[in-house]
Amino acid sequence: MNIIIQENSFSISKIISDLSKKDNVGAVVSFSGYVREFSKERQLKSMELEHYPGMTEKALEDIVQSAKSHWDIQEATIVHRVGKLLPKDIIVGVIVSSKHRSNAFKACEFIIDFLKTDAPFWKKEISEEGDAWVSERQEDVVKKTSWNKLD
Amino acid sequence: MNLKILFFASLREQFEFSQKEITLLKEVRTAEEFLLDMSKQSGGEWVDLFENKSMYKLAINKSFLHGKILFTKEMSLQFFHR
Repeated sequence: MNIIIQENSFSISKIISDLSKKDNVGAVVSFSGYVREFSKERQLKSMELEHYPGMTEKALEDIVQSAKSHWDIQEATIVHRVGKLLPKDIIVGVIVSSKHRSNAFKACEFIIDFLKTDAPFWKKEISEEGDAWVSERQEDVVKKTSWNKLD
Repeated sequence: MNLKILFFASLREQFEFSQKEITLLKEVRTAEEFLLDMSKQSGGEWVDLFENKSMYKLAINKSFLHGKILFTKEMSLQFFHR
């Protein structure tokens, strides 16, 4: 498990390549999230991402542990950026490897779904119209809840 | 007993502080009782917090709060907006 919170950008293809070289890896699935140019029809100038050091890493570790308890995966890496980001910048990467694709697909989706609601990150969007903190999206809560049937 | 409270993101801006240490009254033993006490003592935004539980998430010592937990020494309470 590799959890990285950082200000700098990162190469998701490098992480995929590194994971694919490990022993007996048959599948690597990744999700990458980016800053959109528009939010609620407002053109973004930038986005500021804040987190709670210590709690964030713990929350992400718990999510990966939970994914590992449900699917047979080999490695999971989460990279999440904080600080000031610009439109088109990469925000987050979730990369999961496994022997077979199905486990990696499901675990990757599970991890990003829980990250969106259970990890203490906050986004502030900066636009010409002013600054606005982004609230939890109901769709994200519903998506996370849809995994309840696993338990 | 002292309790450290931390506010993040929009709540930090709303309350205009990120961290504060508060001495608890003896009868205040849970987050619920703390919010009730603060809303009575300080009013304003504390009343909003007490009355609108859907507007924030609460954590104790860096773990999201599920159910009722009794305060103990050296606890910190964190408020996050939803």
